[in-house]
Amino acid sequence: MSGTQEASRWGFLITPKWLGWTAFVIAATAGMLWLGDWQMHRAMAGNALSWAYTFEWPLFAIFAVVFWVKTIRDEVHPPAEAEPADGVGLPGGIPVPPPGGRRPPGGEAGEGDAEDEELAAYNAYLARLTREVKGHGRWHGLR
Amino acid sequence: MRLNVALYRVMAYVTGVVLIVLCVLAIMQIWVADAAAVNAVGTIHGALYIVYLLVSFPLTRRLRLGPKPTVAVLLAGTIPVMTFIVERHISHRYIEPALAAATPRPPVPEPRS
Repeated sequence: MSGTQEASRWGFLITPKWLGWTAFVIAATAGMLWLGDWQMHRAMAGNALSWAYTFEWPLFAIFAVVFWVKTIRDEVHPPAEAEPADGVGLPGGIPVPPPGGRRPPGGEAGEGDAEDEELAAYNAYLARLTREVKGHGRWHGLR
Repeated sequence: MRLNVALYRVMAYVTGVVLIVLCVLAIMQIWVADAAAVNAVGTIHGALYIVYLLVSFPLTRRLRLGPKPTVAVLLAGTIPVMTFIVERHISHRYIEPALAAATPRPPVPEPRS
């Protein structure tokens, strides 16, 4: 894998949207650590209940970081597990007959050009559906 | 996937019920100033919420939810009654289609020729 390819895979991180979310996660994590520190001071001042929160807040901060790392990893390497649900069962490449071109083999003889056009339009429609549906269900960026 | 959905639903209901109990106890403090029960239930809810996060985050990734539903699912465990509302919404909108997609489908028609 070349360096430029690797760089382009991580490039989404420097888009404003992702930078914003990263800043939010950093701020939220800092806030939770601060809350944990505050609870620790309360606990040491004699508030027994604060001991639970002294450990809970840092735990939530760790969750935020872990969730963020997982989100970015999934974005770079989409999980393989989702592949079966990802495919909608449409064939990959549907050949679109050339407009007004020759009939595909197997067609009945004696049919008019009107039906050829209808057939081409139908196949083009299927091809368009396939294109539109490709990659659906993937989590492209933060939508 | 199915196990994750089941665990999420269990945790959504348990966390939601405990949170409602906590709120009722907190409101009762107005008449009965006894902090012990509130503290105990509050600590239980805190622990349950940690489990809820551990169960629901993998589910949001499996369902490939966008940021807004993801944040809604994760924060629902801290807002009274929200776990029930969000669980219902997520089930209808995301879980049921995902489970339906995971089951075998009838063949898709081939292009005519």
